[in-house]
Parts: sequence; C-alpha cells; structure tokens
Amino acid sequence: MKRRTVIAALAAASVLGLSACGSGSPSSTGNGTAPADGAGSGQLTKVSVGVIPIVDCAPIYLGSKQGFFKDEGLELDIQTATGGAAIVPGVVSGSFDFAFSNLISVMVAKDKGLDLKFVANGVSTTGEKGNDVGGVVVPAGSSIQSAKDLAGKTVSVNNLSNIGDTTIKSVVEKDGGDPGSVKFVEVAFPDAPAALANKQVDAAWILEPFLSKAVAEGGTIVSSNFVEMSPELDIAGYFTKAETIKSKAELTAKFTRAMNKSLEYAQEHPQEVRDIVGTYTKIDEATRAKMILPRYRVEFNKDAFKTLGDAAAKYGTLAKAPNAGDLLP
Amino acid sequence: MSSNAMASGGPVPSVGRDRRSVRRLPLKQLLGLAGIAGFLATWELIPRLGIIDERYLPPATEVIVALVRDFGLTAFWISVGETMTAWFLGLVIAIALAVLLGFVIGSSDFLRKATNSTVEFLRPIPSVALIPLAVLLFGVKIESSLMLITYAAFWQVLIQVLYGVADVDMVANNTAKTYGLGRMARIRYVVFPTALPYLMTGVRLAATVALVLAITAELVIGSPGLGREIALAQSGGAISGMYALVLATGLIGVLINGLMRFIEKKTLSWHSSVRSEVIV
Repeated sequence: MKRRTVIAALAAASVLGLSACGSGSPSSTGNGTAPADGAGSGQLTKVSVGVIPIVDCAPIYLGSKQGFFKDEGLELDIQTATGGAAIVPGVVSGSFDFAFSNLISVMVAKDKGLDLKFVANGVSTTGEKGNDVGGVVVPAGSSIQSAKDLAGKTVSVNNLSNIGDTTIKSVVEKDGGDPGSVKFVEVAFPDAPAALANKQVDAAWILEPFLSKAVAEGGTIVSSNFVEMSPELDIAGYFTKAETIKSKAELTAKFTRAMNKSLEYAQEHPQEVRDIVGTYTKIDEATRAKMILPRYRVEFNKDAFKTLGDAAAKYGTLAKAPNAGDLLP
Repeated sequence: MSSNAMASGGPVPSVGRDRRSVRRLPLKQLLGLAGIAGFLATWELIPRLGIIDERYLPPATEVIVALVRDFGLTAFWISVGETMTAWFLGLVIAIALAVLLGFVIGSSDFLRKATNSTVEFLRPIPSVALIPLAVLLFGVKIESSLMLITYAAFWQVLIQVLYGVADVDMVANNTAKTYGLGRMARIRYVVFPTALPYLMTGVRLAATVALVLAITAELVIGSPGLGREIALAQSGGAISGMYALVLATGLIGVLINGLMRFIEKKTLSWHSSVRSEVIV
C-alpha cells in the first residue's frame, strides 16, 4: 500500500514533468501565426541568450513576445543564469551566443584578456536623483547624511570590485570624502535590508525592487550613485565575443536590430514591462506596480562609459582604463 | 509521507530486540511525529515572538501554506521533474561507472595499487569546486548539474565497491577456483554477492549526495530545477515561497532515502544484515 502510494506519486510527478516540458518550450511565446517575413523566411536561426532573471532584462522577454526576433528570422532561446558567475564563461565557451551583463563585468573580462564586445544597450539610469533603480540606503536615524559621510563606514554591495563599489567610491570622492576608507562587504541584494536592520552594515547599496521596499520600511537614500556618477550612465548591456561579431556578422546585426526594437518598445510600454517581469521572476504584483523602472534606450552614452571606465581603473577594479571604441558597438 | 519512509526504512531491528521493537512501532512513529511537531512549533514561535524578524523568517504556517499552493502549480512540478531527472541520470551514470571501474580495479592487485594514490587525490576535491569548469563546458544546462552530481556520487560508490571486493573470503574464492569456476563466474557467484551490501550502502549514500549536488548546481549555476526556483524566489523577494521550496527539497530527500532503503532491503533480502531476525 505505502509502497504503491510512493510509486504512484513518483509516476505522477514524472508524467506531469514530461507533459509540461512539451508545452513549456520557448516557442510558446509566439501566438501560433508566425509572422515570418523577409530574409530568412521559414527557417529560423536559433540564438541562445544568457540573461539574469531581473527587471533589467524585461525588454528581451517583451521583444520575444512581440515577435521582434522572429521578424529577424531568429528563434530566441533565453537561458537564465541565477547570477553573473555563469554569464561571461557561458559566452566564452559558446553556450550563449549573446548575454546580458553590467558594464564593469565586461570591462573586467576584457581587462583580463577576453575579447568581448557589446552589441546592444541594456539598461541605463533614470537620471533622476532619489528616483533611480539603485541607491545607497541608510536606516532611520543614521548619522550618514550624504555620500561623503560613507567614509570610514561599512557599506554592502552585491559583488566586490564591480559596478557598485566603483560608482560609490567615485561619488564619495566627488562629495569630498575619502573613497579609500569606505569598507565594502558582500551582501546579496535580497539580504541587504536585513543586514541593514541588524546593524551588520552602516549602509547598503540596493537595487530595485528591494530599494523601494527598503525605503518604504523607513530607510533613507543618501546617494543615487548611478545618477551622481553620471545622469546618462548606462548600467548593463548585451555582449558577445568579438570573434562572433566577425564570423557571424549577419546574425549579430539581426540580434542587435531586434534587441534595439525591444528596448524602444519597453521604454514606451512601462506597464507591459511590469507585467512581463512577473512571468520570469517571483516579484509579487504589488512590488512590481511600485518599483522604479530603469531607462531603456538604444544608444550607449560614450562619455558616461568613459567616466565609469576611468573610475574603475582609478580605484583598482581594472588594470587600465578601457577604450570605449573597443567595447561599444 | 515521512512516516511512511520511516516505517519502511527504520533501522534494521537487531536480533534480541526484535519483538519489542515491533510492539513499539506505533510509539516510534508517534515520537517521530512529535519531533516534527516540536520543530514546526519552535519555527512558528521564533518569528512570532520577534526573535527573528518575520520579514526574513516567516512563520512555519505561512511557509506550509505557500508549499501547499506550490503543489497546485504545474511550474512547480516541472521544476521537481527537472531536479529529479538530473538526480536520477547523474546517479545512474555515477553508479554504472563506479561499479564497472570498482570491480575491474578491485579484482586486480596491480590496478588497485596503481590507482590508489590517484583516487585518494581526486576523491576529496569538492564537487562544487568544479562549478566553474562545468559552466565553461556546458553553460547553464542540465549537463552542468550532471557533471557535478556524477563526480560527487561516483566516489561514494567506487570506494564502497573497492572495500566490498577486498572483503571477498579467500577460502570461498579458492574453493570456487578449485571447482573450476572461471574469472567471470567467480565474479558473478563469489565477488558480487560479497560486494553487493557494500555497493548498496554506497548507492544509498550517493543518492543523498546526488540530490544535494543537484540542488546546489541549480542554485549556483542556474541549471533548471528546484534550486533555480529557490534562487529566483530569493532574488524576487518571495521569502515564504523560498522557504516553501526549501521544505520541498527536504521532503524529496526523505522520499529518496525511503526509496533507497526499500530497494536495499529488497536486493539484500538474502543477506544476514536484513535476514538476521529470521535466522536466530
């Protein structure tokens, strides 16, 4: 009896799993009538893209839903890596044709000798102080009033030697503080509010959707580090190997066109962004309705890129400042 | 479910205590249930009393409700299926490789000596240390999970098989030789039965390790399965949903352990460790 229930449960689970696999393929994004036209009529080229399941990647999901990639003759295979750790190796090894990552991560990889290059923009700061997708939060009643007060304090970032500490050091220095004296510790974004509440850190660098939550719970934003670095700062984008751009020039051009279309569409349809985020993350509806959306735009801002790259070199994240021409499309 | 597993998988009753333990069985189950209830009550109280903020550790009832809600979702069962597929395939590959190599190496003194240092060198390397390699080779696909699972589970089985083969009774082996049994026949009738209990222990250990590695790979790399769902829940701020998934992995662990004990009991029904109650 007992044995049977166990076996039946296992069988049921496997049948469910198998049947569900059939309907869960990436093709389910289309709505039956394939609007195939133009160059690669009929046959779609499969293209795998590594993304991180966060708000920033909404445009590619929207673009896929809208058929922008199909229109270019591409069949998107969106693969989600839980963290940035699998993204660059995934592109280098060829598991992903393209992938999403923040600018510093790609600069670091390039700095270490991997020949990578961006093919499309991803997300940019909103450019509004206090109303951005990322910021440094302090608990109520903190003595920290502005960026320069972070000197000598412990600040959490999700990854050391990345875009968080680089931009924070830069704004601390801009504000007249000593960037070298800020102590950075690694705390994942979801855990940062707890670390702040337990006084494990004096300030926490948090991104949306956790930033709105932290503020709603009484935290204060002392620095919108992206905006303060540059109101035009691009934060992340889609990249690939420089070799892929050469050997698969047509594929790259198609991907870039579809991606740019997706970015424009996402920028014009914020409600659809909030809706689609619910399909690939577990962010609940109330949070999605309230969170601040980033700016999605096609062109990279070269000046802001240079500012970021120079800062990264200055604070030791990179050995030398990158050349925008080598990395940007 | 958990009481099921306990009933079929409880420790093998030793000779003298046999009758008493049969009579005590309901009590044992009750104690087990009381343990679980006590654990859940403690969990419920910690956030309710404010020892840990409710936002970061939701009370047990909230998590159980989330888990029950998960049971109704196809997406949940897809993830369970993905994790179980990786677990099963990884385990089967590991067992097949380990059994084959174990018997080959174990039955040759020369090979045993030649491989000993290599085995001892490779065995302690934690499977998670191979994550960067797995990502480079396979990306965020199931193959990454398989590589880690196979690596971790392989050693569990191999070492047991080597011990098992070394445990063969020389008199029995020589007797078989005297009776004209060839090498294959001796492996089939003398070596294999001796090694089987060891092998089964190895398989049971490997089954648990394989599950741990399957979840870890999904959690860290993002290959499909329950582990990835846990990471997603965490990065989406769905805290009770995250704990619900963690509970689900625990339940799967209990199920796997119960299943393995059941298989062990069936395969070794002839062996004294299982049969002891009948012999004396």
